[in-house]
This record gives sequence, structure tokens and C-alpha cells, in this order.
Amino acid sequence: MIEVTLKINGKMYTRKINPMLRLIDFIRDEIKLKGTKEGCGEGECGACTVIMNGKTVNSCLVLAASANGAEITTIEGLSNGDHLHPIQEAFIEVGAVQCGYCIPGMILSTKALLDENLDATEAQIKEGISGNLCRCTGYTKIVEGVKIAQKKIINSQEGD
Amino acid sequence: MKKRGVGFASIFYGTGYGNGFPDESRATAEIKEDGSIIIYVGVSDVGSGGLSIMWQIAIETLGVNKEFVKIKHNNTSMMHDSGTAAASRQTYNTGNAVLDACSKLKKNMMLASEEVTNLKVLYKQMVTKRIETRVEGYFKATTKEVNLETGQGNPYWPYTFGAQMVTVEVDDETGKVDILDIVSVNDAGKIVNPVLAAGQAIGGCAMGIGYAIMEEVFVNKGEIKNRNFSNYIIPTSKDVPNIKSYFVEDIEGTGPYGAKGLGEPVMIPTAPAIINAIYDAVGVRIYDLPATCDKVLLAIKNNA
Repeated sequence: MIEVTLKINGKMYTRKINPMLRLIDFIRDEIKLKGTKEGCGEGECGACTVIMNGKTVNSCLVLAASANGAEITTIEGLSNGDHLHPIQEAFIEVGAVQCGYCIPGMILSTKALLDENLDATEAQIKEGISGNLCRCTGYTKIVEGVKIAQKKIINSQEGD
Repeated sequence: MKKRGVGFASIFYGTGYGNGFPDESRATAEIKEDGSIIIYVGVSDVGSGGLSIMWQIAIETLGVNKEFVKIKHNNTSMMHDSGTAAASRQTYNTGNAVLDACSKLKKNMMLASEEVTNLKVLYKQMVTKRIETRVEGYFKATTKEVNLETGQGNPYWPYTFGAQMVTVEVDDETGKVDILDIVSVNDAGKIVNPVLAAGQAIGGCAMGIGYAIMEEVFVNKGEIKNRNFSNYIIPTSKDVPNIKSYFVEDIEGTGPYGAKGLGEPVMIPTAPAIINAIYDAVGVRIYDLPATCDKVLLAIKNNA
């Protein structure tokens, strides 16, 4: 057992863990944040995507121990109380969610993309979410949702 | 050289299990002391939208504000079975059961008081007048097994119609097929929820793209060899164009508010339309799906 400290959604968590524990298990089983979903468990589907130090990772491929000291954002870290993040609002507005299993990862990939490039073109958006598989939606409404989120974020920044 | 082609395909597809297979849905509607109305219905929603559809049908039928109506589902200790979320049958079959239950409850509510202003008061009036506050709704599809000798029977009712137009680009040096554009037009009767319906239609096209050019199961002595997303390839955001969806709302008299099934038929025209578009682009017919690069290239070579 080793001791690790991770900052998840702005809060510090210290736990004694098995060094083989994956980051997704740390998030879901130790911290009990169930919004992060496990799909394939081998880094192909993107359902378990979280943001680690500003970059998206498949949390099934990262050991919790190697994330020691890292800053992690999960889907639970996006909303501010009942106030949803603009990406979440946009996805709901446009109907980008069907079964919903890919959506936490999809939204975090979108966030990481827009944090880096708020003016991303349609081709860049499609590239940005291409690591997140969705079987329901055909992606069209998800891409539309990202575009609406871009406008929402730009408008809110202009309002500041 | 990259060559463009356009292909079309159209289909019709029956709602429900069909062929006389028992196809029943049940729902219960109950007005409670606190003025809320609960619809108990065994609709399982795996992203297909059944839950929203049942709620909408209930609200429309009862004619009350949406905040008073709640759907309870997915618990067989509390409700009857409504069959599977399969065969494109929930909107039509279970929707009809919800419609039946809510129509009966509405009738009972009207018996207690012609003008409904307060549901709590109405509940008390119903109890005082000994009017049922909990009613059952039922729907059974009317299909009949087809006699293969005579060709007589009624395999399905109703039918959903669809047509798609696909534009592809085929690289005749590599055999790679890119899907540039899809237009999907469907007649599923009255569209109960346009946003969810468009999502179904567009998602169906994406699945059709996978079926047409990407997805293949390799089996060796009964064992599937490609069991992972690294070798069973499904479409990503980069493989799917912006799909346009339109509906022709030809009202189905037997459907709840005129609705028919939509879930499965939306993906059926995509593959044949893609294969037709490949033919239009490079003049070869692919008979064995998926139309992967190697097959398309070989066909082009054999055709030369």
C-alpha cells in the first residue's frame, strides 16, 4: 500500500492504496464519484476521460499512484451547484444526449479542447472528440452542442 | 483519383414483434391524494427516449400541467410488463397503453368534476363519489402470422417508411470510401418529440455507416477474434458527416396521436444507399459488407 494525494475537482484526497489501482477506480471506488464511466477499459472508447493537469487522459490507463499530486477534473467538477457549465447547458439544449454513457467523457474532451482553443473550427471539434466513441447520436448534435457552447462561453466572457 | 457518387435507398419496416407474436403493453394511471398523477409503465429507456415519449403522451391526454405528472418505470414489483424496448415498439405499443390508461383516468376525473382547477380537490371529489382513482391501460398489436402457403396474414402493423440520399467520395487508388453527406427522410407518423426523433434518425445513419464500410466480426472456430474497439472499428466523429434529418408526418390512425415506430428503420437505408453511391462513383457493386478498402480496390481492379 502506498499513500497518494490527488486534487479532484478542487478538493484534496489522501488515500492509502494498492499501487496497481487505476485512476478510474480511485475516482469511482475510493472517492465515490460515479460520473466517470468505464467503457472498454483499454483506452479505446474514451468513456472514462478525465482532465489531468489540463490534458485529457483515459482514466482506465493511468495508475492512481502515477497521478499523485495531479489536479484532476471529473464531470462532477464542471457544474457550480445547480448552475450547469455552458457545455452541459448546450448539450441539453440541442439534444446531444441519448443513452448518456459517453457524455461525461465527451463533455470533458470538449472542455479540454475549448480551454485550449475556444475558436475551434468544426474540423478541430471533430478531431477533439474523435477519441470518444458514441453509438447513439451519430455525433451531429454533439458537434452542434460544442458550437453552441463556444458561443455561450464567448458571450459570458464578453459580459465579464 | 477521388471520385464522387450519389446513392439512394428506400425502405418500409413494420413496428412491433409482428407475425402474431404476443405483443402487449400495459400501463397504470393513478391520481394521488397530493394531486399528483403517477403513470406506472414498464418502459425501459436505454437512450431511445421512451420515458420522455410516455410522459408527453400522458400530459397531452390528461390535459394537466406537466409538473403534476410523473412516470414510474423499470420496477416490475410496482408495474406491469410493457415488453422490450426493441422492435421499434415502445412509442406505438406502450404509447397506446399509456394513452388508454390516461384516457380512462381523464374520463373518471371529468365524472367527478367537469372543470378541473385543483387536482387535490378533484382527488377528494373522486373518493367521495366512489370513482376509481387508479385505472389500467392496455394495448395489444393486431398482427397475424403469415401463412407461407397462401401468403395470407398480417405480418406487421403499422409500417414506417424511409429514404436516404448519400454522397460518397471513393479513392480509386486506395479503395477508401468517405461519406460526405447524408439526408435522411422518415415517415414515422406523428413525431411526438422532434429533438429525440432527429437524434434517433441521425444516430441510425451513423450505425449504418459502420455497417456499410467498417464493422466486421471475424470468427475462428466459434471464437470472435476482434472483440475490442481497437480491431472492431465503429464510426468516430471524424467518420460521420453532418447528417440532415427530415420527417414526413403521415398520421397513423391506430397510433398514439398518430405515431409509429422509428428506432430501427432509420438505420436500414444507409448501407444500400452507400453501396449505390459507391457504384455511382466508381462503377463497382459490392455484395459483401462491409465495403472495406481492400474489397472496393479489388472490385475496381477486376472491373478495369
